[in-house]
Amino acid sequence: MKKVLHIGISAYLLISSFSFLQAQTPTDGIMMDNGQICFAALYTHDTWDEYWEGTLKRSNGNVGTLTRQTFMPMFTLGIADRLNLIAALPFVTTEASGGQMRGSEGFQDIGVWLKGVAYENVGTSATFSTLATLGVSLPTSDYLEDYSPFSIGLGCPDFSMRGILNYQMNKGFFARGQAAYLIRGNATIERDYYYTTHGVYSDEIDMPNAMTYGATVGSWLFKNSLKVDATYDGLTSFGGHDIRRQDVGFPSNKMMFTRIGAGAQYFIPFIPGLGVVGQYSQVLTGRNVGQSTVITAGLTYQFGLWKTEEAAPESTN
Amino acid sequence: MKKYIALPYYAVLLVIIAIGFQSCDEDLPTHIAYTPYEFASLDEDGGTWTPNLLTSPSQIGIPAPTDASSAEFQAELAAVKTASATLTSEQQAAVDYWGGNGLIRWNEIAREMSAKYNLAPSPTAEGTYPAPNPAEPGTYPLFPFAHPPYSSRAFAYLAAAQYDAMIATWNYKYQYNRPAPFNADGTIVTHLPQNDLPGYPSDGAVIAAVSKDLLSALFPLEAAFIAEKAEEHKNSLIWAGINVASDITAGDSLGRAVGKVFRMRAANDGMKNAQTPKPVSDSIRNDAQARLGWHWENQETPPRPVGITPKFSAVKLWFVPNVLAVRPPVPPTPGSAEFQTAADELNNTLDNLTNDQRRIANFWSDGLGSYTPAGHWNRFAVEAIIKHRLNPLRAARALAYLNMAMQDAGIACWDAKYYYHYPRPIQAMPGFKTILGTPNFPSYTSGHSMFSAAADEVLSHIFPDDAALFEGYSEEAAMSRLFGGIHYRFDIEAGHDAGTLVGGYAVSRMITDGGE
Repeated sequence: MKKVLHIGISAYLLISSFSFLQAQTPTDGIMMDNGQICFAALYTHDTWDEYWEGTLKRSNGNVGTLTRQTFMPMFTLGIADRLNLIAALPFVTTEASGGQMRGSEGFQDIGVWLKGVAYENVGTSATFSTLATLGVSLPTSDYLEDYSPFSIGLGCPDFSMRGILNYQMNKGFFARGQAAYLIRGNATIERDYYYTTHGVYSDEIDMPNAMTYGATVGSWLFKNSLKVDATYDGLTSFGGHDIRRQDVGFPSNKMMFTRIGAGAQYFIPFIPGLGVVGQYSQVLTGRNVGQSTVITAGLTYQFGLWKTEEAAPESTN
Repeated sequence: MKKYIALPYYAVLLVIIAIGFQSCDEDLPTHIAYTPYEFASLDEDGGTWTPNLLTSPSQIGIPAPTDASSAEFQAELAAVKTASATLTSEQQAAVDYWGGNGLIRWNEIAREMSAKYNLAPSPTAEGTYPAPNPAEPGTYPLFPFAHPPYSSRAFAYLAAAQYDAMIATWNYKYQYNRPAPFNADGTIVTHLPQNDLPGYPSDGAVIAAVSKDLLSALFPLEAAFIAEKAEEHKNSLIWAGINVASDITAGDSLGRAVGKVFRMRAANDGMKNAQTPKPVSDSIRNDAQARLGWHWENQETPPRPVGITPKFSAVKLWFVPNVLAVRPPVPPTPGSAEFQTAADELNNTLDNLTNDQRRIANFWSDGLGSYTPAGHWNRFAVEAIIKHRLNPLRAARALAYLNMAMQDAGIACWDAKYYYHYPRPIQAMPGFKTILGTPNFPSYTSGHSMFSAAADEVLSHIFPDDAALFEGYSEEAAMSRLFGGIHYRFDIEAGHDAGTLVGGYAVSRMITDGGE
């Protein structure tokens, strides 16, 4: 089961535990072999009842608890040795327990990434590798990003560049760190004047770029049928503005958060290629975001699409 | 030990991408860009037009200027000649920004302040709502809360004062007939279009002073910023080569004096009592309940105990003789067949909302955090002023009647809202949900519809070529509230009819004021 790709955990980390975070790129150290494909279907349930209005943590009776659900199919395909193509398209719904406003639902942004191994050193007891991912995500539907707290996405093109350092011991333990830079294009909304820290006469929003970062430790157990791990990660924005007192959120807010999470993936022994994945995360600190509690569950299924002449050296995590 | 190294390829790729993504980030516009224009006319008889509050164009006196042949004037000319000969890039930017019609920028500044201060008070932990206090404007919640009544009144006082001040300015310009510096000395370099308007007093300085006077009173926390802008405006006139120092001094004193006249009206026009205490608000509600059998209640959590300005209806009108002259008829009883038709329409519309309807709801939302519907119509007026190249007097006339009509519309609308105390869709239709937030005041009639219909009447009269455009805006603005789920169709229709009547009173006055 070493080669089975688990993308579930990396996916949840990305797809966004709360309103304003885009689909990011896979963050783990696993690679599919050439010709191998893994499909995943993931469900994410994200709730918050407190949020940060700028740096002021508060609740809002007209929102109550905000629930965001994501249904995300994705696949990862080994297109060459040490090179994967990943694609995902989340469908997101939002609703509030309080107030009298309608939630939102729709297809969010399609994400496509290329992930490759830039450096790999297979030692006697462990393998150290460096991976890089480049990705693009683009809105696929005409969703309204200027609809806080119900908006299902940021509504702008997003280019990401990620680096991952991965250390996998043969006995099962692993540790990795990752950081990514996200370049955002402009978002377009439906009114042509808005106030951030000053008025803007345009229907376009200059979106701040951002960075994600994180570290994960975990281990494979029971002959690699079970993986467990714990993650600490976060997001920081370069630029943007705070939500003003008693104002609503806006796509170009300066969003930041840190969070912790834990997860597990289990590969069902009697059905080769099939895995089940679960994850829990909790936002700890934040700015202009909800203090989300997120649960993700899903299935992964991997098989070979085509054969290659030579088997690539095993790179597992 | 097996090694695989593809790092160099990835490094190169990263560099290529980094270069490729040098995002050409153009700054988004923060104000309207326009090229300073030559005025379509000069309105030499402007000093004979009828002001709206000044008793006459010469109510406020200014000293006679020194003669064009005098030594003092010659010295001032020399100073301007030096100043305008070469400009630093900041000075040139200021000249370009202020242009030849400073009303455009002061209108933008007023809109900016309206948007900046248009936020509702946040509830305390106990679930109560503090109110802005004009005596302590900097204590949260900041003063003012620039909601639609406050903003419509702010725009109206600013524009009305600017207009009366321009009439007085034109009166003295042609009475004293002292040439502008570039007409007295053809070697003076100018950075704005030239014309034959006499220079004394400076219309730019008058506008800066009267705007500073009114806006500082309306937005006291912005006084320092406003003072800075006024200073820059006045300086830009010298840098542009279009006024001498004494033109500006006289203009400044005239503007301040006109401002004072309007501030005195404002202090006694009833606005002080518009945001009533809870007992008064409750008695207004109880009166409606007794009279009609229903009443409006705020549906927020925690509920706001008082709506926005229940007594804005008692604020002094500009042109409408009294609110009864334009009060709409009684709306349908909640639960009646007529009500149900409107409720069904709301349900069907919101359940099947098209993207275009959603876009219209959002485009016209002009809600919290924005410059309100009045601000939106000021934008259209400014665009028309630029398009038709109006001089400052004529531009002031357009903005004055537009904004006075809109404040009248607001007063009349708030009369209907609290007289009929009609529940909003989210109150009268349990379980109904909207896509726009429901404001903190009753339903009938729609403010958007009234403001827009009144504005349409006035602007279509002033700019008949664009009448179809304004009518389209007005209709769309009205319908946007139904698409948003916060007004019934009868709110919009009654609002449109009443707003049209309100606009008609402003137009009747316009026709007789000498400026047609």
